[in-house]
Amino acid sequence: MKRYLLRKILIYLLTFFIAVTIDWMIPRFMPGDPIRNMLTRVSVSSNATAIQQMYDYYSHLFGLDLPLWQQYLNFWKSLFQGDLGISTYLFPTPVIDVIKRAVPYDIFLLLPAILLSWYAGNKFGAVAARSKRLDNTITPLSYILNATPYMWLGILLSWFFGIILGIFPIAGAYSYSLQPSFSWKFIGSVLHHWFLPFLSLFMVEFGGQAIGMRNMIIYELEADYSHYLGTLGAPQKLIRNYAFRNAILPQVTGLALKLGTIVAGALVTEVVFSYPGIGYLLLAAIQNQDYFLIQGCFLFIIVGVLIANFAIDIIYVLIDPRTRRGMTGETS
Amino acid sequence: MKNLRIHNEILYFALRNKKVQIGLIIILFFVLLALIGPTLTMYQPFEYANPLGPQAPSSKFWMGTTFFGQDVFSQFVNGLRATFIVGLLGGGIGTLLGIVIGFTAGYYGGIVDEILNALTNIVLVIPTMAVLLIIAAYLDVRSVFTECILIGLTSWPWTARAVRAQTFSLRTRDFVDLAKLSGMKSFKIIFSEIAPNMMSYLLLVFILQFGGAILTAATLDFIGLGPTNAISLGLMMQYSVLWGALPFGMWWWFVPPGLAITAIVGALYCTNVGLDEVFNPKLREM
Amino acid sequence: MHKKFLVLLSVLLVASFVFSSCAPAAEPVAEEPAAEEAVAEEAPAEPEEETIPTEFPRNETIYVSGAAWGPASTWNPFQPGSLANTTGTIGFVYEFLYNFDPQTGALTPWLAESGTWTDDTTFVVTLRPNMTWSDGEALTAEDVAYTFNLGKEYATIWFSPMWNYVESVTATSDKEVEFKLTAEPLFQEFENNLYNVPIVPKHLWEGKSEEDITVGANENPVGSGAYLYLANSEDRNIWVRNENWWGIDVFGEPAPKYIVDIRTSSNNVALGMVLKGELDLSNNFLPGVAEMADKGYVKTYYADAPYMLSANTAVLFLNTTIKPLDDAAFRRALAFAIDVPSIVNVAYAQLVKAASPSGLLPVLDRFVDQDVMAELGYSFDTAKAKQMLADAGYKDVDGDGFVETPDGETFELEVTCPNGWTDWMAAIDIIASSSQAAGINVKAAYPDQGAWNTELQGGTFNMTLNNWAAMSNTPWALYNLLFRHPIQEQMQSGNFGRYENQEMFDLVDALAEIPMSDEAAMQEACSNIQELMLTDMPMIPLWYNGLWAQYSDANWTNWPDENSANPTLPTTWSGYWQLGGLMTLINLEPAGE
Repeated sequence: MKRYLLRKILIYLLTFFIAVTIDWMIPRFMPGDPIRNMLTRVSVSSNATAIQQMYDYYSHLFGLDLPLWQQYLNFWKSLFQGDLGISTYLFPTPVIDVIKRAVPYDIFLLLPAILLSWYAGNKFGAVAARSKRLDNTITPLSYILNATPYMWLGILLSWFFGIILGIFPIAGAYSYSLQPSFSWKFIGSVLHHWFLPFLSLFMVEFGGQAIGMRNMIIYELEADYSHYLGTLGAPQKLIRNYAFRNAILPQVTGLALKLGTIVAGALVTEVVFSYPGIGYLLLAAIQNQDYFLIQGCFLFIIVGVLIANFAIDIIYVLIDPRTRRGMTGETS
Repeated sequence: MKNLRIHNEILYFALRNKKVQIGLIIILFFVLLALIGPTLTMYQPFEYANPLGPQAPSSKFWMGTTFFGQDVFSQFVNGLRATFIVGLLGGGIGTLLGIVIGFTAGYYGGIVDEILNALTNIVLVIPTMAVLLIIAAYLDVRSVFTECILIGLTSWPWTARAVRAQTFSLRTRDFVDLAKLSGMKSFKIIFSEIAPNMMSYLLLVFILQFGGAILTAATLDFIGLGPTNAISLGLMMQYSVLWGALPFGMWWWFVPPGLAITAIVGALYCTNVGLDEVFNPKLREM
Repeated sequence: MHKKFLVLLSVLLVASFVFSSCAPAAEPVAEEPAAEEAVAEEAPAEPEEETIPTEFPRNETIYVSGAAWGPASTWNPFQPGSLANTTGTIGFVYEFLYNFDPQTGALTPWLAESGTWTDDTTFVVTLRPNMTWSDGEALTAEDVAYTFNLGKEYATIWFSPMWNYVESVTATSDKEVEFKLTAEPLFQEFENNLYNVPIVPKHLWEGKSEEDITVGANENPVGSGAYLYLANSEDRNIWVRNENWWGIDVFGEPAPKYIVDIRTSSNNVALGMVLKGELDLSNNFLPGVAEMADKGYVKTYYADAPYMLSANTAVLFLNTTIKPLDDAAFRRALAFAIDVPSIVNVAYAQLVKAASPSGLLPVLDRFVDQDVMAELGYSFDTAKAKQMLADAGYKDVDGDGFVETPDGETFELEVTCPNGWTDWMAAIDIIASSSQAAGINVKAAYPDQGAWNTELQGGTFNMTLNNWAAMSNTPWALYNLLFRHPIQEQMQSGNFGRYENQEMFDLVDALAEIPMSDEAAMQEACSNIQELMLTDMPMIPLWYNGLWAQYSDANWTNWPDENSANPTLPTTWSGYWQLGGLMTLINLEPAGE
């Protein structure tokens, strides 16, 4: 048990270390020069000496004029102080501030979408697994939803509800005529803008969850213990309950993993609906060659996923005895 | 001889399975369209074929024209080709990597397994889409081919994990021990004894990888990080959104590519479920 | 169990519909006073703080878009690059000595009341009376002198190069600023700076550190202009009218009380909003607007093609250091081979017009030598291009349909633009295909913007598009971009094709030193430049990018158009408020009154 946890922690630390190192390399070893890109349009009216001076000045500001090893050490140092550098795209805003502004939108959009789709998907999946009629409707529908590209569903929804019917806005997080305030009108506007991106996420996630649950339950019902229980004369209901309990375990893992991706955001959905979360930010950072912002977003995403994974591992050990045995069984 | 008979039997059941039938028919339809389609149109995908600009489908332009008067049908069938290439190659690379790493880890165990498993976990944990975005953004000129490699290189971990677990259970079986005793080399054992027993499973894995690669490619293309020198279904959707197909109501521009992807990936899943039933007879009763 | 979920879902749905249907209704905000009281109790000592309304009444608010491409991040008027995202910082908050009217070519005194050259190299500006900063302090000559001297002190401020020929800028009285120039000043650049250097308040900026002045974000800016900063968020900047603006008596009061400047993420969104009348003025490039304008759904400056005013020139830069682009005869043939009419009609659906071979915008027409154009100008003519190629010795030797160099070498040229710049992508497709039709092997490629930029500045491209010269009072601005010198390893601000010709450089330098008042001398200098440029053809001006603007009459009227008596620019772009954008707002009238 202890050995298992230690090994896990070690792997996570290693992953973190590698990820941060790759992250640090992003702006430094890839082609292109972030400072030159940043100065491109500024410099049209200036002469060459002035541009060189600006270049040196900004290089110094971003700490890019130091030897590489020094930059690497500084990166770790400032990382632990919560300093992710300065964005070039949104100069001179610190990267951490830019990210902090985006995270609430991700949580607001993804948390309900993931939880509700998980809940509903599993319910429907479980029902589908025991009813032939439902299985013939819900399952194919789920497969189709699962096969739909996110953005296409988003495009169709915004085309139908936003343009043809004109009842939902297709961009932004709240009405352009409002300022954030604690009023019904503002909250209403926020929900109004939130609904379509939420719905598109919900639908696709729902499909995946329903399929997963249905298949798990069927496998469990076909497992030896179910047949054994059956021959012992146990009621169908009891067997199904056992199957459900066993099938839900991997689904819990799935949920935790999904929650870990909250920080990563639903990039495509956010792009289609111009919803200002981390995914949208990451894309903007890439399009504007803002290496420091890319670096920051990536780090946030990694940390989110790592924490979620780690949490699953711990929870798993606690709730599923099979894992505990598996740890020793594997290496034999 | 005996092997052949088993294969025939599986093929028989497979072709009798409704889900496999439906899935294969849909896929075959799109494959044919991708193969023959480009010869049915006289226009190049990016050619400004229609001087009148955007037009709804007509007898001259079967799927209408884009904002610039480009033939949507030509873009669509050429995009289908890219889609299948990405599925085959991207999904193929992902499956192959996953199989090799999974087999190796599962068969050798011990320190090899430790290292490969750590690697798998690391790649599994790092969000694929974020990595793809960053790598794709750094390549100046991107082709469908580089896209395939990128997708393949990031999609293998779950396959590796699954194959590793399967190998674990297989390698302790009697017939493997027998082969070991008779002095067979490890690679030979993997390929002649273990792999055939997992063939059905690997086929299912490949189908899922195929579909996954298509969806990933569509996403990359849509957000502007797709091939810079070709057409694809994802790029069609990107262009249609960029050029105001929604407010102008040019549905013929953005509906077909998404519909085709959904149909192809859906058909793949359908085939997958069908084959699963064929390979695991227990499921057939459901 | 799943029933509960369905109930929840339907409640959500219904709620959304209810909210959507009640949103447009004018609803008195009842909770507001209570909230304010609570705040007031806690912090009674801040009476000056601008209270931000929770809602902007439609009839007092103008919604604009098309200027910002990212969230606002700085209000520092000396950060021109990043300022595009807070388009009001220069123009609304900070003002200039002069404004410039691109339609008439005249500098309009703004903070300045008048300016006179007391001798060849001394310029004295007299300021208007009774001007104040938004914090109530008086705006004096000291502020102006302080601002210009910042450029002397900090080399990283963009206008510091002017101190190469400026000796001193001093406040000789409360109202008068004296600019003393050296013997050979760059008059053209100097006058350009008169309407581009934003004046900042000395009493607030004096105490700032170098870093704060050059790169600080300058939140809550205090300026002298017609609007004040109110609020911002990820996708909008909000400005409120300065009721105490000194200019109300001079220029009039801008009609909209609030300006909500929206960053629309895509054409879809902007177009949809314009059509619904939710957006009053869109300065986005919206393909297909021609059709909308013809149907009367939106208004544009011209009722017919090209619908838009011309804003800048799209120039095809040729890398003159590689074969065969180092041959002037080849370059001239290429100019005839490019199908500009198709670029105008297909790529832009008639929203732009073909450029004059001189490259100068229509508003600078008086500096175009028509005789030179008649003799050396070019237009799309495939047959002529083929003939010119043949005359210069370019023949198709190997029979692949493409010509080889006179010494028999095959070549393939690449024309580029950043990936995702869809109109330019369409344009270079046409450049490639029409060149091929003339027998020149040209392929189009779309590298990502960063890579494109590296190639552009490092000179590793073959042929590429660029349009970095803004609307200007002088033809020198464009020629300074085209013939930037000396040639360096990195060309960051012009002459990307590394065209090296001392004769041309001398001509451009000569133009730079002519006083703006001496129009005849300027015309002659331009004529010389144009003659050499069209003979050598180091780059090819192709079309004018438009001053994209589509507006709606639903809430605000009296927009400028071709029939207006004194047309101003209908634009919100950064750096265009002082080119007439602000006057457009002043001239607006609420609809239905």
